[in-house]
Amino acid sequence: MISPMEKLRKTEVYKSIFRHKYEDTPRNRALQIVDNVFLHLHPVRVPRHATNIGYTWGMGGITFLLFLVLTLTGVILMFYYRPTAQYAYEDMKYLMHDVPFGPLIRNMHRWGAHAMVITVMLHMFRVFLTGSYKPPRQFNWVVGVVLLLLTFLLSFSGYLLPWDQLSIWAVTVGTNMARATPLLGHEGPFGPQLGMRPDADVRFVLLGGTQVGPPTLLRFYVGHCIFLPLIATIFMVVHFWRIRKDGGISGPDTGKKNF
Amino acid sequence: MNHLLELVTKPDNIPIVGLLLLVIFYSWLAWTKARKNDSQQLPDEARLDDKVQVWPYLVRVEFLAMLVVLLILVVWSVFINAPLEEPANPALTPNPSKAPWYFLGLQELLVYFDPWIAGVVLPSIIIVGLMIIPYVDINEKGNGYYTFKERKFSILTFCFGFLILWVSLIVLGTFMRGPGWNFFLPWQDWDTHKVVVLNNVDLSEYFGMPSHFPDNSLNIAASAFGFLVIAAFYLSLGGWHYMKYKNSDVVKKLGLGRYALVLGLFLTMMFVVLKILLRLAPPIFGGYPVKYIWVTPWFNV
Amino acid sequence: MADDITSSSQTVPPQRPQALSQESQISATPIPKKPKQDRAPENDPGIWRMGRKSFLSFAGWLSFLGFIGISTVGALRFMFPRVLFEPPSKFKAGLPGDYVIGEVNEKYTEEQRIWIVREREGFYALIAICTHLGCTPRWLTAENKFKCPCHGSGYYKDGVNFEGPTPRPLERAQITVNDDGEIVIDKSIKFRYELGEWGKAGSFLKYVG
Ligand code: HEM
Ligand code: FES
Repeated sequence: MISPMEKLRKTEVYKSIFRHKYEDTPRNRALQIVDNVFLHLHPVRVPRHATNIGYTWGMGGITFLLFLVLTLTGVILMFYYRPTAQYAYEDMKYLMHDVPFGPLIRNMHRWGAHAMVITVMLHMFRVFLTGSYKPPRQFNWVVGVVLLLLTFLLSFSGYLLPWDQLSIWAVTVGTNMARATPLLGHEGPFGPQLGMRPDADVRFVLLGGTQVGPPTLLRFYVGHCIFLPLIATIFMVVHFWRIRKDGGISGPDTGKKNF
Repeated sequence: MNHLLELVTKPDNIPIVGLLLLVIFYSWLAWTKARKNDSQQLPDEARLDDKVQVWPYLVRVEFLAMLVVLLILVVWSVFINAPLEEPANPALTPNPSKAPWYFLGLQELLVYFDPWIAGVVLPSIIIVGLMIIPYVDINEKGNGYYTFKERKFSILTFCFGFLILWVSLIVLGTFMRGPGWNFFLPWQDWDTHKVVVLNNVDLSEYFGMPSHFPDNSLNIAASAFGFLVIAAFYLSLGGWHYMKYKNSDVVKKLGLGRYALVLGLFLTMMFVVLKILLRLAPPIFGGYPVKYIWVTPWFNV
Repeated sequence: MADDITSSSQTVPPQRPQALSQESQISATPIPKKPKQDRAPENDPGIWRMGRKSFLSFAGWLSFLGFIGISTVGALRFMFPRVLFEPPSKFKAGLPGDYVIGEVNEKYTEEQRIWIVREREGFYALIAICTHLGCTPRWLTAENKFKCPCHGSGYYKDGVNFEGPTPRPLERAQITVNDDGEIVIDKSIKFRYELGEWGKAGSFLKYVG
């Protein structure tokens, strides 16, 4: 008597999806990783200390998880949000009061963003403390710094979107600093001498106007939803690729090869 | 006290409380591990270098971590609503008005430096400074395990920058900056009408040279004096260090260029601290806070 | 090794090695062996075939880089539209007689971000934008000063800064009277103290009444 499960496993459809058996053998454990498009981000084997959460604190992975959560909740929010000064705030209210699960999605997006900034900072802290930026991982640290910056920019550009008092003043102060950029801002050292004007300097590129207004909202929206996530994704791809190419997770040099 | 409770439980402040606790916890964790490793022949990580299979040993940890993080996030989001304040109004600035919390360290620096320094130059230096760390830290030890003994200078410098200048300034900006950007202790109520005299003077005025004449034209002597003070700061400390250590192995291996870069960045970090002290310390001794060290027609430092 | 590589760049068919020539006895037309391809032949510029010296290659690269450069400039220019839809900078502010001497009038602060100050000799219009980082300061009558909530900059009633981080005084806007005797304020024309502009015509409206 063969069980229905056995029968199912013998069908062509099943075999076309699952490529190997699942008895717990070392070979199948390896196949789990290499045969899976997502898991094969990982090597098949790692040094034992890498599975110890006390070593990596898991912060890089958690940052990535939060990025995925933010992408998902962000896309859902886009179903209701219109990036114009007339509607943005109203849409926020609408989401918070009249859309089922609207508050949950918005809250997850907001708190997830805060959490991601925290975890990315802690990740950097850990990488520093274990000296993991030392050869051969120098360049991946540089990629990491870019990711840190992108995380800040993503969070900052999202801050404007609710179009409430908190948003516009935080962004007013933030972008007014650009006004004072040396050479490129109309109030920065040597800016005016180089012909910078309120309507022609770096700050204008950010704001799309001479003050925080409707064009700013649109620019920040496009940056927040398309441009910055795209760039961040590209850098993350490089970051993960480099982890593998630099010999997997760092560890003390014990003479053994890590890969 | 109620005020403190209110501050700590304000939805937008919860992440900062979390950050503070996490930073304290992880600093402690890293410190314990470093001490342990420093006291033994081989670091713990080197003892655990046999291979294990990623499936299941790593994947299951990751899966658990994912569940925990998602659980925290969902519970947090179910119980605490993200704030939505009054609609945007360009004519009415809330008091106090703050940047997003992760920029509060920079906003605090805005009190002591002109926007072009605090908002543009210093952040750029931080980013570039972080990026070059792997290329100027030529100490081969301490790669891939926790240690303190083997890399004291780099760890102390980084922790000073991260824990003191970044994290504590964020905490200070969140909990101790109230209306009018005045300083309040965390348990003091925020009094909108608190009057603090902030009459600042330029450093040269301490030496009898106002930066501007009564007709508002620049005092060249005062400007030159300011330049000299800054030049003296960098040259004397830098020169002293160079004289003392020029024959050390580290300086030789770094080479003059990289050595000067590290020294310059380090001194700049110290300069930031110095400027903050020049603003905060004098009132304690009954003097005027210092506004600028160096005044020029184009920019002030 | 090196020999059969060099041969490839020549037009003469390469010499066949021993093993092949035996085989070739079977087939009617011998198949010339392909040259080895793991290395560029000597004297062959390889990927630099369109070498630096070749004018066409140079021109090609130049136009490619030129295209990238111009596209970048174009993209940048794209961010600066020719027309801006911002609120008009000019507005009327009633009759001079409506103002009280010594008062900082906040009637237009909400809408226009302007304070109109009436002194004994006349009027000036202060722009309610902190010169530090652009917050809107508040006028504190009791303390007789403007105070910015963002980082604590303070200004005297005439707009000159005296405390906090701001690097310079508030800006004044042009203030004039029109033919109907009404005050007209133009925010696009600004007067800055530190540039010595507060003495200029338009920065102060003489009025004794
Ligand atoms: C969006 C932001 C980031 C993501 C998603 C991310 C993700 C990761 C992940 C998953 C790892 C594997 C080990 C671990 O979890 O600790 C890792 C390692 C690493 N990260 Fe990041 N990271 C980010 C930002 C950064 C930053 C800001 C830095 C440093 C400035 C950095 C530098 C490194 C380095 C050098 C490694 C190799 C560490 C080792 O082998 O021990 N990353 N990153
Ligand atoms: S914006 Fe007014 S003090 Fe900073």
